[in-house]
Amino acid sequence: MIKEQLYFKAKSIEEAIIEANNHIANFRYIAGGTDVLVNKFQGNENSKMLIDLSGIDSLKQITIKGNQVEIGALIILDELKNHKIIAESFPALFEAAHAVASPMIRKTATIGGNLLCENRCTFYNQTEWWRKAAGYCLKCDGDICIATGGKNNCLSKFISDTAVVLISMNASIEIFDNNQTSIIPLESIYTGDGVNPRNLSNSAIIKSIFISNDEGFTSVYKKLRQRETLEFGSLITAVTKSKNGKIKIVLGGVDPKPIVVEGIANDDLNELIIIASKKARTVDNDMYSRKYRKEMISVYLKRSFQELGLILP
Amino acid sequence: MKQINFKVNGKHYGLLVNSHEMLSTVIREKVGLTGTKIGCEQGSCGACTVLVNNKPVLSCITPALRCENAEIITIEALAKDGKLHKLQEKFVEKGAIQCGFCTPGMVMTALSLAPTLNKDEGLESMMHQIKDGLSGNLCRCTGYKKVIEAVAEYALEDANIIEKPKKPIETKSVGVSRPYIEAEKKVKGAADYADDIVMKNALHCKFLRSIYPHAKIEKIDTSEALKLEGVHYIAIGKELPITFGVLPISADETAMAVDKVRYIGEIVAAVAADSEEIAAEACKLIYVHYKPIKEFLKIDDSLNDIGTNEKIHAAGKFNNNIHKKAELRFGDQQQGLKDADITTKMSFEFLGINHGFTEPHAATAFWDENGLTITTATQVPHYLHRALAKVLEVPLNRVRVIKPYLGGGFGGKSDPFPHEMIVSHLARKTGRPVRVRLSREEVFLTNHGRHPSKLSVEMGISKDGFFKVLDADIAIDGGAYGSFGIVTSYYNGVLLQAPYKLDNFGFRTYRVYTNKPQCGAMRGHGAVNSRYAVESLIDDLANKINVDPCELRLKNFLDSNTQTVGQYRITSNGSRESLLKVMDQSKWNERIGKLETGHGLGVACGFFISGSALPIIWNELPQSVVHLKLDFDGRVLITSGSSDIGQGSDTMLAIIVAEVLGISMDKIFVLAADTLLTPVDFGSYSSRVTFMAGNAAKDAAENLKKEILDAVVKAKGINSDELNFGNNRVFSNDKTVDLSWDETIEILTAKRGAVCVSGKYISPKLGGDFKGAGAGLSPSYTFGACVAEVKVDTETGHVKVLNVWGAHDCGKALNPMAVEGQLEGSWHMGAGQAISEQMKYYKGLLLNNNFLEYKIPTTLDTPDIHANIIETMDPEGPFGAKESGEGAIHPVIPAIANAVFKAVGVRITQLPISAEDVLAKMKENQISKEN
Ligand SMILES: Cc1cc2nc3c(=O)[nH]c(=O)nc-3n(C[C@H](O)[C@H](O)[C@H](O)COP(=O)(O)OP(=O)(O)OC[C@H]3O[C@@H](n4cnc5c(N)ncnc54)[C@H](O)[C@@H]3O)c2cc1C
Ligand code: SF4
Ligand code: FES
Ligand code: FES
Repeated sequence: MIKEQLYFKAKSIEEAIIEANNHIANFRYIAGGTDVLVNKFQGNENSKMLIDLSGIDSLKQITIKGNQVEIGALIILDELKNHKIIAESFPALFEAAHAVASPMIRKTATIGGNLLCENRCTFYNQTEWWRKAAGYCLKCDGDICIATGGKNNCLSKFISDTAVVLISMNASIEIFDNNQTSIIPLESIYTGDGVNPRNLSNSAIIKSIFISNDEGFTSVYKKLRQRETLEFGSLITAVTKSKNGKIKIVLGGVDPKPIVVEGIANDDLNELIIIASKKARTVDNDMYSRKYRKEMISVYLKRSFQELGLILP
Repeated sequence: MKQINFKVNGKHYGLLVNSHEMLSTVIREKVGLTGTKIGCEQGSCGACTVLVNNKPVLSCITPALRCENAEIITIEALAKDGKLHKLQEKFVEKGAIQCGFCTPGMVMTALSLAPTLNKDEGLESMMHQIKDGLSGNLCRCTGYKKVIEAVAEYALEDANIIEKPKKPIETKSVGVSRPYIEAEKKVKGAADYADDIVMKNALHCKFLRSIYPHAKIEKIDTSEALKLEGVHYIAIGKELPITFGVLPISADETAMAVDKVRYIGEIVAAVAADSEEIAAEACKLIYVHYKPIKEFLKIDDSLNDIGTNEKIHAAGKFNNNIHKKAELRFGDQQQGLKDADITTKMSFEFLGINHGFTEPHAATAFWDENGLTITTATQVPHYLHRALAKVLEVPLNRVRVIKPYLGGGFGGKSDPFPHEMIVSHLARKTGRPVRVRLSREEVFLTNHGRHPSKLSVEMGISKDGFFKVLDADIAIDGGAYGSFGIVTSYYNGVLLQAPYKLDNFGFRTYRVYTNKPQCGAMRGHGAVNSRYAVESLIDDLANKINVDPCELRLKNFLDSNTQTVGQYRITSNGSRESLLKVMDQSKWNERIGKLETGHGLGVACGFFISGSALPIIWNELPQSVVHLKLDFDGRVLITSGSSDIGQGSDTMLAIIVAEVLGISMDKIFVLAADTLLTPVDFGSYSSRVTFMAGNAAKDAAENLKKEILDAVVKAKGINSDELNFGNNRVFSNDKTVDLSWDETIEILTAKRGAVCVSGKYISPKLGGDFKGAGAGLSPSYTFGACVAEVKVDTETGHVKVLNVWGAHDCGKALNPMAVEGQLEGSWHMGAGQAISEQMKYYKGLLLNNNFLEYKIPTTLDTPDIHANIIETMDPEGPFGAKESGEGAIHPVIPAIANAVFKAVGVRITQLPISAEDVLAKMKENQISKEN
């Protein structure tokens, strides 16, 4: 009667992949597990097999490779602060990591897990009983979106704090899948579909994250939430300026995927704000209203521009 | 199942665990160490923190199997060789422990935080680091202040930056700051809370809850569920049809829904099984056929005629869902309005608030030759005792209710609850102990929190600044059942008749039923929202007549030893001292009106009862009885039915008895809240315990003193008025008699043995003889004031509360550290209601039923709290004491809102204060200015 459950703690990527292939239809990786296990408690995650990656030591290094900094996917968020290179070259990444959840969670949660943290919605992040009472929505095999009343699109929120900053710095990730390693831009894995927000195959493992170390990035990261800790972002913004004057705006918390707008310092920055705001398919699925979150996009971005020394017309 | 090997606190374990089992349950249930607590199971409260290989982790989201070969340290390992760890000592010494439920997690977190603190950048920086580091550990009792202080002092002493102060030896009892008597037990994780108590052979209970707000139950089929191996019994509503409720006048609830469900979450069936998993699985197999009927979710819908739809409760004369109308009028409000030179009227709307205690409800019941025994997290053992006897149809003498340590209540454990009836019933049916613990979501569904309210309030004032009239029109949303609602209806109004002089005062409250979890009593019961409204109006009036809001209040305060318009007898009254104190401390006069836009100070005052003078169940029992037993060993055993819920009432009783007898606290033992062993006390609600149980304890101690005097007089041939009690001795002024306590006891017990005495408290007859005169009557009242300082972000509307300076008149602080703790906790809780807490519903379904989305302020969100105790020596309180646990919450919320007004000119009429609302109103102001 009570469902059979399995757990495997992998010591290497290879071991993890073998187990994954053995349970291909019914497994989930966990790194810190801080996202998966809460979703499991609520009944949104029911995989029979949990493959624990936290013992794979090869993914726990931060190294400099040429003009790239490589961050192992299993680096614990709290430990980013121990690496001078992060604090000095990418303070906004450190800030974003420090804004995730609470101190204890950050001592377990990994950066790789943060990038793949599940999309969220007030009507979805609920217990099985609750969702049954509400009527299951698109994201849990129902046939209607409770937030919008629509039947086609789930607009659950993409909420990874670190991904927002990393994408603003054009970060890429190294993935191991099907016995192959490939490096792809981080932003390319997000689909914009709230039900299946990422296009990685189930068994793909993120090995590491790459950021260029010679583009002279300066970034400003901001997060809208009611309390100063513990909470997911209702709006997350990152703006990065590179030394050649390029600007990249990334928004989280307002769309199923990160909203990306690129420009240069001489552009009409207000125009960029309008574009970003228009792109965001924000709906009422958060404790803050859609209207307010939309309104704050512009406030947050203007402040970010100012902090970066960019002049608004 | 899988085998795991690890070490817990140095001891090796090889255990079989479920593959997806979390470390928290393995530690608690398989290793058997229950110091590690479970408050949310979703990584949001920190109560379950343990160290794994020296790193703090939340054990509720750590798979046990991850910990193969790990070294796990739990709270139980910190004290060594019979001595507390220095950090634990600090928690005790500083009063950082109230209910103690968050304490183990807090200590484990702090333990790993302390060595990482950078102490070179000054104290302020270190304090911020501590706040940041503890920001994942929720505490609902302390307001964090004493916790943060404890960690800071520990860190500094540990680094030899400051020296540990030497403890003076205390011989006095009243007025001396001291930790709770059970603080050590709590800080060691050794105090047993309801879910920590293990009974042999117990079954586990889980509930099937309604998924409809209002529906007829057409059929319940339990046959499939019963087939599941390990299921022992499934109970449904009609087995327990007798209604109950804390107020006999609205006993409208059954243990489980009988014919229809009235809210989403109402219990429809209950399973007793070998394990929680099996019981939960069985619940899924129970088939219920519902026929939904029209639901009523809003106050307005329930006030109106409902046409041909079905009422939520059949009782009641009218064709609507009004549960209670309470109305009282004094003086002449029409005249008052005419006499006033300036009037103001505003409407307010408040969302519901949950107590947010950290310990979820839990209970275990069993039957034996003595009838029923239930150990449960309750504030009101006596009322539960009565309700159980009624519902289970057994004589009162076949029920025993035991309250173990309690992880906070705040009114949320002050009703008899369905789960308590159900496990008692299941235990009888199965002949086995049955236990239950609620998930955090179930705690929210059980609710009984602060009523969502709508108020429209009008006040008038003369040009020279005297209040002429106050009229309040109130509607409160009671949810599906009565609870304390009738009292709440009155309190919303009557408690507005002070602390200001008012000759023309009236109110009308409607309490309605809606199809949502029921509301009841919560800290500051009934008057929090209406106080908010009135203090906002006063601020507005001060603004209109251009008078300083503090000055206006000072001018209108009632005096001591006076009567209110509704015939409340006011004795001691520290309003004036309280307000002057916070004005002074906040540098009000220097700063008000001089701060830049976005930065503001606000003020408000409060008023509350110190114990309800009338019993809930009409009878002539004293409100409180305390027994003392003194035997050959010289120890005084106090037995009292009062419920220590973390507020420190056991300690309070000990202090009072020690003071009267002149003995030290180690000669006292408190046994409380076991309805078989302890005499009746009505429970921990309406801030009655210090006043009433305290007076009963004092009475008992004086009776014991008389017995001792008689014995010594007889033995020594001395006049009784020459004898003194103090320093553990009984002595005459000239020292011709000078007995140690042991010698005294020898004399007392000779040829007689143990001496037992009793003491009681009966409230004096008070109040008028009009209908409704009893509402809010109390032998004494408390007063207080707060100034709050806020910063408002003028572009986002976000409000940050920086400081709260508060003062509260508690009569006499029997234990100043405990009083401060109550005040700091109240102001923290008030700040939560002001800024971030709300119960938000979607079609009758609570959206934020967890500690991630129900936003209790963390260390980082809690303002700096500056607590001041004002002492007025109440003539009838024990040693002059009155309440300090509830009243203090009243002024803080409007003080914050009034500060927002000063900062950005926006009057807040909805709680919680939302950034969105502030911003929108700022824009409106801007537009009206421009036009
Ligand atoms: C109370 C609370 C508050 C939170 N607040 C925030 C917040 O403010 N912001 C935020 O972003 N998150 C928040 N989280 C979610 C979560 O803690 C973080 O996102 C965290 O960084 C996830 O990391 P993890 O290692 O624990 O991920 P896991 O839970 O272990 O995994 C998350 C996902 O990533 C996959 N995965 C992990 N590592 C790999 C890998 N190397 N290769 C392939 N797949 C992988 C898993 O299969 C899973 O799908 C919060 C969680 C809680 C409980
Ligand atoms: S956005 Fe709609 S479909 Fe997606 S999770 Fe929320 S309610 Fe469900
Ligand atoms: S019980 Fe683990 S964080 Fe609340
Ligand atoms: S002492 Fe912290 S929750 Fe009670």
